[in-house]
Amino acid sequence: MKKLLALALALALCLGLVSIPAFADDTVKITILVDGTIPDQNNGRDAFEARWEELHPGFDLEIWQPDHSAYYTDMQQRMVSGNYPDVLILSSTYYADFAKNGVLWDMTEAWENSKTKNSGRFTGDKVFEGLKIDGKLYGFADGRGNGCVTYVKKAWLDAVGMEAPKTYDEYIAMCEAFVNNDPDGNGQADTYAISAAGFIGNEAPFVNYLPEFYQDAYPYFVQQEDGTWIDGFLTDSMKAALERMRDAYAKGLIDPDTLTNTTAQARTKFYDDKFGVFTYWAGTWATNLKTNLEANGRSGELVALAPLEGLPLYYDRVPPVWCITNKCANPQLVFDTFIDTMLDGGDTQMLFTYGPENVYWSTEGGFHMLENLEKAGTNYTKFHTDPMLALATFAEGYYDPKEESVLPEAKASSALFNENSQLATIVPATDAMTEFNGQLTTLKNEMVANVVMGTKTYDQALADFNAAGGDLFSAAIVESLNALN
Amino acid sequence: MQKQVINNKKPLGPRIKKYWQFYLLFIPVLAFVIVFHYLPMYGIVYGFTEYKVGQTPIFVGLAQFKKLFGVVEAGASETTKLLAARKSQPFWTAFGNTIVFSVVKLLLNTGFAVVISIFLNEMISTKFKKVTQTIIYLPHFMSWVVTASVFTLLLAVGQSGLVNNLLKSVGATDTSINFLADPGHWKVWYYIINVWRETGWQTIIFMATLTGIDPGLYEAASIDGAGRWKKMQYVTFPALGNTIITVLILNLAKIMNLFESVFVLQNDAVRNATNVLQTLVYYEAFNSGAVPDLGYSVAIGLFRSIVGLILMLLCNIASKKVRGRGIM
Repeated sequence: MKKLLALALALALCLGLVSIPAFADDTVKITILVDGTIPDQNNGRDAFEARWEELHPGFDLEIWQPDHSAYYTDMQQRMVSGNYPDVLILSSTYYADFAKNGVLWDMTEAWENSKTKNSGRFTGDKVFEGLKIDGKLYGFADGRGNGCVTYVKKAWLDAVGMEAPKTYDEYIAMCEAFVNNDPDGNGQADTYAISAAGFIGNEAPFVNYLPEFYQDAYPYFVQQEDGTWIDGFLTDSMKAALERMRDAYAKGLIDPDTLTNTTAQARTKFYDDKFGVFTYWAGTWATNLKTNLEANGRSGELVALAPLEGLPLYYDRVPPVWCITNKCANPQLVFDTFIDTMLDGGDTQMLFTYGPENVYWSTEGGFHMLENLEKAGTNYTKFHTDPMLALATFAEGYYDPKEESVLPEAKASSALFNENSQLATIVPATDAMTEFNGQLTTLKNEMVANVVMGTKTYDQALADFNAAGGDLFSAAIVESLNALN
Repeated sequence: MQKQVINNKKPLGPRIKKYWQFYLLFIPVLAFVIVFHYLPMYGIVYGFTEYKVGQTPIFVGLAQFKKLFGVVEAGASETTKLLAARKSQPFWTAFGNTIVFSVVKLLLNTGFAVVISIFLNEMISTKFKKVTQTIIYLPHFMSWVVTASVFTLLLAVGQSGLVNNLLKSVGATDTSINFLADPGHWKVWYYIINVWRETGWQTIIFMATLTGIDPGLYEAASIDGAGRWKKMQYVTFPALGNTIITVLILNLAKIMNLFESVFVLQNDAVRNATNVLQTLVYYEAFNSGAVPDLGYSVAIGLFRSIVGLILMLLCNIASKKVRGRGIM
């Protein structure tokens, strides 16, 4: 009996170490690796998958979704171990590099012949031109990249008796009033004007959380009109930007914990009335900010600011793109079935934009978005594709619920952003960038933090930056970029 | 008298035949170790290649290690030499930090654990002792992410920063101190947080030793007229000595494994000054802002493993001398 038990136990343990493969059938499997821009299983992903498979009989959609913040780590780990998906989402940084290194399938021809491009509904030619690398297209964007606009709490403006600022001086005056004039009316000097998740962004366009201070400065590689490249971080504009931030920080206008804030912490502080000026995503986020403020018992009325006079337009970032990997067995089929249907103007576009019916939206009593499964008291605003950023309209005769689903504040913020934004560009990848950019970025971020917080003067920080090799790394990358011309 | 070692082991074949059930039960463990510990070692070869995700690795010999140590070919230009030196600078900082952080942390944690264990052992109220033990064990079960979030809030510069508020209220400072943005302060708080989180858990082993001390020794010391301090001096401390050395030796072998505790507390202002080898590997591999050369990251990891192996062997020798048996 003991022997049998030992045998059974050992077999059970051995079987536990191996997965049992599913029985093969005739369906074609498409594996996709996605970040948090596709809602997770707690937010109706399974219903999305089921509906997609219903719309595309004969295909089995398998979704791989690591945690959003660990997406690129997970993606690289999978690829290093040879575990490639058929399709994956990539940000502009990885897109350019992967395309250059032959990781992605060239979809130029497929796109030219696609139903979406030739539908007459497609409005994103400029965006797609910006996605081409050496004239070839390796990724598909379902929407524009979007960017951030600056939101100001209307209740705070009223409390300090000011109008929305139009110039930098007015902006600083408003910020000072938000710090000194008790805008939340609690009788305590416990408010800041501005907060953000760090003084500098982690990815292009880097400056989008504090644009009023960065102004014309851009801390990355920029191609000038004559085609040559420079490192914008080492320009006088950047010095001026850092000094503006340092002054504002010293005056107490910027939340002193900005350095260690995460985006979630910054949002929570905004909802808790700790600060009044928040530069965040345009479009549906305007509704999210409003509803979360109201859920906290605050006034949700926000004023979206146009760029201050004399300042550059907001940055419309290069959109994240859907790419097909070069390990995909049948890329044309995957393109036709998965990519080219995303903006089909019909049921699949509806699914990607508004999500599965009765989970994200309902038509009972007229079209309306349903309550968020995780955040009671707030409604969903979209599924994956932002209805205001989509690069194709719905087909004629197909019901587009945009009017009912997109609330006025989101429309207003999106319209303001569209009128006042410029397209960001892709910086090509080079070997020198692979070798030095990681270290260079760390040095740049350190210098920004030290100057803004007043730990070092600009000159001291620059001397340390150069002593650690920052100037050499920067020059090596600029040289490699100019060599591409 | 000389000890005679008798080898009465039977050959493996008959042993497997006789005890086949045990060997059968051992198979899953063996499979697990092979699959998850030995097979991944194949990745070591990437340390000798230039390897970008999606591309075929190119064999480059020791080039990645030369880059790591800032070695350039003879006759290289001054700029190349300078670039190589600057490129390797973070590696040496991270290597130094790994050793210093680990050793200081180990000494502090062990020291505090010993002191707290002795205090707990001297407690008369069993109920109070158990409550205290439970409270000091709890932080160990918090993830590092939660721990970092809690301390980031406590050490905040803004109004929510409890530590700064306390310091200001007692007049120790007029302005808030940005503890996590200055490398000097950061390191102090790193040790404090580690002591807070790990000391309680480490007391378990010392408490077990203290519980095992023969009460007769204390009685005998009392009869000889020893007071509380003398009893601690002549009974408790010597009894703990062997355990302290064992704990130190066992932990010394692991000092190259520092990652999570550092990673979660870092920010832009201190990253360069506080990197350890594992965080450097992480940033080189996954946060370079470009598709990384994984060969370089593997080379750093391999160097770390070699140093770890040497430490392990040294600890094994030390353990054999102190305890009479090795740790391997």
